[in-house]
Amino acid sequence: MTSITRFALPLGIAITAAACGGSEAPTKQFAESQSAVRAASEVGAERNPQAALHLKMARDQIEKAQALNREGEHAAAKQLLKQAEVDAELALTLTRAEQAQRDEEQAEQQLQSLSQ
Amino acid sequence: MAGALSATAWACGSSAPTQELVDARRAYERAQVSPATEYTPDELLTARQALDRAEAAHEDDPGSNTEAHLAYLAARKAQLAAARGEMAQAKASEAKAKATYQAQLEKTATSSQDQLAKTRSQLEEAREATSSAEAARQTAEQRAAAALQSLSQVAMVKEEQRGMVITLSGSVLFPSGGATLSPIARQSLDQVAEALKQQARETPLIIEGHTDSRGSDATNERLSQERAQAVASYLATRGVDASRIQVVGRGEEQPIASNDTTDGRASNRRVEIVVGSRSSEPATSFGAVNKAAPGGAAAKTLPTEPQQPMQQQRMQQPQQQQQQRMQQPQQQQQQGAQPPAP
Repeated sequence: MTSITRFALPLGIAITAAACGGSEAPTKQFAESQSAVRAASEVGAERNPQAALHLKMARDQIEKAQALNREGEHAAAKQLLKQAEVDAELALTLTRAEQAQRDEEQAEQQLQSLSQ
Repeated sequence: MAGALSATAWACGSSAPTQELVDARRAYERAQVSPATEYTPDELLTARQALDRAEAAHEDDPGSNTEAHLAYLAARKAQLAAARGEMAQAKASEAKAKATYQAQLEKTATSSQDQLAKTRSQLEEAREATSSAEAARQTAEQRAAAALQSLSQVAMVKEEQRGMVITLSGSVLFPSGGATLSPIARQSLDQVAEALKQQARETPLIIEGHTDSRGSDATNERLSQERAQAVASYLATRGVDASRIQVVGRGEEQPIASNDTTDGRASNRRVEIVVGSRSSEPATSFGAVNKAAPGGAAAKTLPTEPQQPMQQQRMQQPQQQQQQRMQQPQQQQQQGAQPPAP
């Protein structure tokens, strides 16, 4: 049910846009960007300042892309969605990298506790 | 949003690079000095290719929207490469630390086990040493007891309060009035020496000379001292540790038989070797062995035997009576024998 509503809107935009813009709406790119944003959010990107910044950039660009889509600017929308996707991907990676560094510190502390 | 704005701003065909391209170049430079070089070179290559595309777009159409877009992507790819390099490095370090931690734990456990095993084997060795020392001690005691027992062929052996007493007849050892050992005496003393050497090394030996009542006290004391000394010296030459030996001249003070008869006086002329008091265990075995002796000895004796007073004296020490044994053949021949006790 949710997936239908999620795709109903961009699909509608795409059809409308295709009618007047001359190119297809970036439906696939839209889905990928949103998926990337969701994945970053799930690993806790909001709690890492740098990751949170890129996550916000991704969301803003998706929002902007939706607006461009409505205006029939499909090519520009697609570019923004691609940019949103890499921002979301970066947000996720930064979050995971920070976690990896925390894990490493913990392992080092455990090791040091042995020699004390 | 930023990309779209920039693209619009730089769309007028300036040859200057877009801000996105400037950012992308800087991001790539940072990625090049990040752990990505070592840990995620593929990611760095992808970032390089993205930057190349942006640079190409810049060459093709400087400040274009496409340049800005590709540069934006290139900047993020470079940042991604750096972040993934750092992540890979952190994970590698974590794995190394954990492996080292595990190895040290195992090492500690192993050394603890080694220590435990070592302690156990030391304990076991100590137990074995204790039991073998105990066995050796018992063997030595048995050998010492057997050695003294074997003397019953040449001397009388009995246990008294002061220790095991080996009594050697003076008439066998010495000529009358002299202190020079006879050849037969030497043979007997050789056996005594062997038996004494079997005793524990620290066992003290007291060699006492005794005489009968003939002659002056002074003479007798001197003679008894000289005889005891002669025995001691001879034993020392046969390997008995001289430092164990104490020599005493008792003179005529301690007769074991009547001085009124020739045989009684013969019994009183004697040398006694007192072997320092030992544990009661060997004494028990002596008792057992010597129980069989009196019958055999008695059977050989004749009615005029002068040993009566000596036996009476022994009666005062009932336990020792069983252990007494008078078997010196020469002595029996000289003294004759006594009838069996009624």
